[in-house]
Amino acid sequence: MTSGGRNLVILGILSVLVASLTTGVSLAIYHNSGDIYLDRSRPGFLPDEDEIEKQDGQDLEYNFEKSGKLTIQNVEEYLEKLELEIKAIDAYSDPFNEKVLIDEELGITEKNNES
Amino acid sequence: MFYMKKILIILALFLVSGLFIPYNVMAISEEQENLVSVNCSTIKSKLKKVQQLDAKVRVYLGSYYEAIATKFIIPMNVRLVENNLSTAEMVENQNKFAEARTVFSNDFVKYQQVLEELINMNCTAEPEKFYEQLVIVRQKRKIMTQDVLQIRTLLSGHVKLVREVMTKL
Repeated sequence: MTSGGRNLVILGILSVLVASLTTGVSLAIYHNSGDIYLDRSRPGFLPDEDEIEKQDGQDLEYNFEKSGKLTIQNVEEYLEKLELEIKAIDAYSDPFNEKVLIDEELGITEKNNES
Repeated sequence: MFYMKKILIILALFLVSGLFIPYNVMAISEEQENLVSVNCSTIKSKLKKVQQLDAKVRVYLGSYYEAIATKFIIPMNVRLVENNLSTAEMVENQNKFAEARTVFSNDFVKYQQVLEELINMNCTAEPEKFYEQLVIVRQKRKIMTQDVLQIRTLLSGHVKLVREVMTKL
């Protein structure tokens, strides 16, 4: 093998090593930062159709003005819009409810065995 | 007398050692151990579903919290300052809301990490360890419920404070 060919092979190996290293570091950061748990583009975590429809229906355009004279009408509108957002939050009744992880739900209760 | 002292020391050591035993470790019966081993794959698939649903809830709630902070609470407080209507309670509530959002995000990561650990465990071979981890996951999930409640309370507080401001206009 000529020296040029050997250098080319070394360059190829080095490139693969650098790429593997940077990919590994990126994946570690992605995992350790917790971003992985928010990434809904992963298989099995994709949003449902009804979720996308709901998001389209959200009033995302509203933004309370930071400046200007404050009037009762401003505050009334503010509260009206804010309550809509709060209502949307409350629509998720009992998020992270504890029942889904109890023994009965997971099928590890002793009663299960008797039946 | 010498024996009395010895007994007292042993008793004290016994009591103190109890403080260092993790309170979350719960006993699992032999029957439950068997159930964990036998139903391992079913339990894991249920846990994966919980994980997927949690990701959905986290993103859903997180986006609303973000919108409320940036489109409502912060602009309102800035405007109140401009109109000389700002109160210490409003600012305090905003700070607490920001803090609660951070806590919510961090606790979710911690919860997901322990849940992931649980899903990756070999429950057929180590049902007892699996159950111990399940107890930890339950505790972290309980913390998530508390975080959500805390944010909701702060939101109600904010609405109440804005209504009070309204009376001054």
